[in-house]
Amino acid sequence: MNIMYTIIYLIAAFLAITGFHIQSEKYLRSMVLGLAIQSSMIALISFIFGIILDSYTFIILGILVIFLRVILVTYFLINKIPRSLSYVYESKVSTTYMLILDFIFIIISIFIVYSISFIHIVTITYPVKNILLFPLLLFFQGLFLIASRKRTIAQVLGYVEEENSLIILGVFLLPVPIIIESSVFLDVLILVVIFSVISIEKNVHEKMEELRG
Amino acid sequence: MIIIPLIILIIPLIASIFYKNIKNSSAIGAIIEIFMLIPLYLLNPYRGFFYIDTVTFIFVLMVSSIYLLSVLYSRKYVRDIKNRGISENMYYLLMNFFYVAMEFALMVNNYGFMWVGIETTTISSALLLITEKSDTSLEATWRYIIIVSAGVTFAFISVILIYYSFGTLTVTTILAEKISNTLTVRLAVGIALVGFGTKVGIFPVHTWLPDAHSEGPAPVSAMFSGVLLPTALYVLYRIYEIFPMRMIFVWAGTVSVLFAAIFLSYQHNYKRMFAYSTMENMNIALIGMGTGTEIGLIGSLLLLLSHSFGKAGAFYTAGDILHISGTKEINAISGFIENKRISASLLLSSFAVTGTPPYGTFFGEFLILYSVLSIHFYAQFIIIVFSLFIAFVSINLNVSRMIFRGKYEYNKSSGSIISLISGIISIATGIIFLVVINAIL
Repeated sequence: MNIMYTIIYLIAAFLAITGFHIQSEKYLRSMVLGLAIQSSMIALISFIFGIILDSYTFIILGILVIFLRVILVTYFLINKIPRSLSYVYESKVSTTYMLILDFIFIIISIFIVYSISFIHIVTITYPVKNILLFPLLLFFQGLFLIASRKRTIAQVLGYVEEENSLIILGVFLLPVPIIIESSVFLDVLILVVIFSVISIEKNVHEKMEELRG
Repeated sequence: MIIIPLIILIIPLIASIFYKNIKNSSAIGAIIEIFMLIPLYLLNPYRGFFYIDTVTFIFVLMVSSIYLLSVLYSRKYVRDIKNRGISENMYYLLMNFFYVAMEFALMVNNYGFMWVGIETTTISSALLLITEKSDTSLEATWRYIIIVSAGVTFAFISVILIYYSFGTLTVTTILAEKISNTLTVRLAVGIALVGFGTKVGIFPVHTWLPDAHSEGPAPVSAMFSGVLLPTALYVLYRIYEIFPMRMIFVWAGTVSVLFAAIFLSYQHNYKRMFAYSTMENMNIALIGMGTGTEIGLIGSLLLLLSHSFGKAGAFYTAGDILHISGTKEINAISGFIENKRISASLLLSSFAVTGTPPYGTFFGEFLILYSVLSIHFYAQFIIIVFSLFIAFVSINLNVSRMIFRGKYEYNKSSGSIISLISGIISIATGIIFLVVINAIL
């Protein structure tokens, strides 16, 4: 059984890597695919928990993640990336600079949030409690992505990444009832569709004089 | 008796089925919703899939009333919009979904579903903001979606932690348990303050609020200010009840009220000014609830009820002024004293939102300040009184300028009667409160 928990730990660590990968990517299409891989990893963790704990809840959760996050969300987002070359990547973003900022932001945020509060929480499904570091890391990655990018789709990805962190936090702590989890998934899916509608009209977000003060 | 809350949720959905004639069916549905308040009141208290008590009832009353007023006000307003981002029928469809989402969040007896309800309000209301399509309204809509969704997502951690602590998400079951002072519960309540606080308008996560309110069409701004923010506050209050973190909630509200007053002091756009006024009022209500006293709670409910009508009236009037003048700049507006109906409704509603006696907002603020003193929070009391004074002067000075300064240089359109009715209902809440208190004493 220990080997299974080690595998889960490794996959959780891989989640963090996908987070940094998405942040460092300039190409929107690669960012979307990075997110699809991240969601697949979450589904995999859920399936492994389903097998270890012999719980159908985790299996259903994994299926929902595959269907809604990996397939539908990726489909909507990929289709909304304009074909024009100038929209394929974010030309003004200095990825090295952003990545360093990202590291600093995440280390400080996690140090504050984890060391003060989450360190004292005992996980139910996983034997080592520092596993909670990974969902928190993913959450702050998502927040930073939203704050650091100007393109609509990049900000949507940040939001979905945040949502991913919550699923994995729930999986490590105690998954909420599946009916609520399903409603949350549907909510997020509809939000992604609305994001897509708006991204047709407005691709980049800059400061506006009318919205100051 | 689960059927009564269910009917309340289903009526607007049935109205939406008549899509081609949705404008009229929504109005009929909204009127039926007001009549449904009677059986809902008789049902109180109810505990099952839904949870209805007096607090819930007052919030449902607010939401149903402002929904009716907004649907009626929209009939002319939306028809006259030239550059629409969504069709007129789609507008009413989204309005109905928006209303149902709020009612669901208020009545459901489960923290998880409350979260779903609050998130659904974002989904259903986002596209309403681009009814009057412009580059600015698109940006405001985007900011609304991304900031509020990120905040409410954070609030979901709170839901997970509640479930982790109690093994259930049923509100009545959790509230019936003895208060558990564990780190996880405290963390859940604290995270809810930041997460749901984003939608309530707590500083510094309030930034979407002035943008969305200033760029949305008047009836939608009225719904946002009058009932959407209170709905989020209701959910926050239900979580606060699990473990009252009095000090943090009162300080969060106090700091937010202070900043709202500062922002109000330099506004030059009247819609943004009313938006910051909403931030101020919501946080005063939060303080009242945060004191954890019965008087504080009564004060908050009275304030919210009166504010919802007053602020709806303010935004309807703002819509009329925008329609007539074509500008949102306070300095570009003059001489509205010659337009009797609009100047009357603007004065009535601005007095309502600034807590002038004998409005319900005045008595609400009075009770809240009393409860703050009763728990010996003197520093907070001084900051709140100072902020209320700044807000009162800032809003009323700007409104006076718009009404009494210069000449009236616009067409003679008299504006909507709905604005005036909203202001009058707001003052009526204060008078009814006085009569009731007098009868009790």
